[in-house]
Amino acid sequence: MGNNKPYAGLIISGLISGALYLALFLFHHEIMAAFTRTDGWYPALPVITAFMFSFSHGAFTGYFWEVLGITARRRD
Amino acid sequence: MPDPVAVNFIDLTTANVLALFVIGFIGGLVSGFIGSGGAFVLTPAMMSMGVAGVVAVASNMCHKFPKALVGAYKRYRFGHVDIKLGLVMAATASLGVWVGADVQQHIKINYGEAGSNLYVSLSFVIVLAIVGSYVLRDAIEVYRRGDTHAEERTSRLARWVQSVEIPGTMVHFRTSNIRVSVLFTIPLGLATGMLAATIAVGGFIGVPGMMYVLGAPAIVASATELVIAFVMGFGGSIKYALHGLIDIRLTLILLAGSLFGIQLGAIGTTYVKPYLIKVVMAAIMLIVAVSRALVVPVYLTELGKLGLAPDTMTALKHASFAFLVLALCTGGIIIVGAMLHGHRRIKPALKDHPQAAAE
Repeated sequence: MGNNKPYAGLIISGLISGALYLALFLFHHEIMAAFTRTDGWYPALPVITAFMFSFSHGAFTGYFWEVLGITARRRD
Repeated sequence: MPDPVAVNFIDLTTANVLALFVIGFIGGLVSGFIGSGGAFVLTPAMMSMGVAGVVAVASNMCHKFPKALVGAYKRYRFGHVDIKLGLVMAATASLGVWVGADVQQHIKINYGEAGSNLYVSLSFVIVLAIVGSYVLRDAIEVYRRGDTHAEERTSRLARWVQSVEIPGTMVHFRTSNIRVSVLFTIPLGLATGMLAATIAVGGFIGVPGMMYVLGAPAIVASATELVIAFVMGFGGSIKYALHGLIDIRLTLILLAGSLFGIQLGAIGTTYVKPYLIKVVMAAIMLIVAVSRALVVPVYLTELGKLGLAPDTMTALKHASFAFLVLALCTGGIIIVGAMLHGHRRIKPALKDHPQAAAE
């Protein structure tokens, strides 16, 4: 039961998610300047970024609980 | 050229980041479990850090839709989500958001900031006290009957709604296993959207509405609400982004915590009896109602209708915020406690039937 835990998925998604958060903290001035612009396609940036983080970080958190052994109980 | 930004964005301290992460986590846990209800504490929490009200609302909204998406996907895999019902409700809920925002705007113009705050708080108190009491009464009745394992009973209202045949409008919602006229979803969707625009948590009407008016099971209603929350949050985020009001740092820090929470909350629903979703929902709704009731005299004073001392007003505001945090923590503790209890109960069964463990 413990052998088929998704360690590879956890590590890959963790690296992607970690890199994205690192970029956010390193470039937060530039990001804030661009993301609060209201001209052109700039308003799409926060929405697209939120999606991007939800996929990468969502995958990571999913694997995180699975590796910890906290998984859904299937009814019958 | 970039538009000049009219609002100030705060400098984030480590303490702020940690606080947002933790509140995000507990908020996500509650949302994954009851479909919504985790976000109400985030706006006041951010405002107490110095974030402008409108930026707090915008950043909260932008973290809600990806969170709802992840939660909805997770619960879809458990077979809890009624996508058709979610999309039908979301259509009118989106309309409700517009109407609700217009009403807000109208009140703000005519009665100022205090008038608007009073309207929001009174809406909280009235809706949450009525719906929360009803949900609690239902949960207690199920508990008293002792059939917490049994399938839920359909409410009398839902039985009537399901019996009304309006030709050309009847829709079968497969996952909820109900057949109702789509016309009944219109007022529900509108009310959900209006409440979302007013108090940021449309699910306090949406989930009980789907349960008691349409007759959807609690587990399906709470999961389907995530679809509605996604659609409403997505539309709302675009609107705020067009005005350059989203602080993406706040959004992503909240998301960092809440995505852990929402996955755990969603997993939690598979361990508990359906009536527990009602217990958590009722507990949170009633505590939040108390929180908002405490600040009503403050806003009445600001409108010149009452004469409270400034110290009393500050104390009431602090007490109100403490109740909000208490509501969220109570929900979080019940969910984690129930999960642990469920897990312990199931483990011996799995030992006896190893085949079940493979599932």
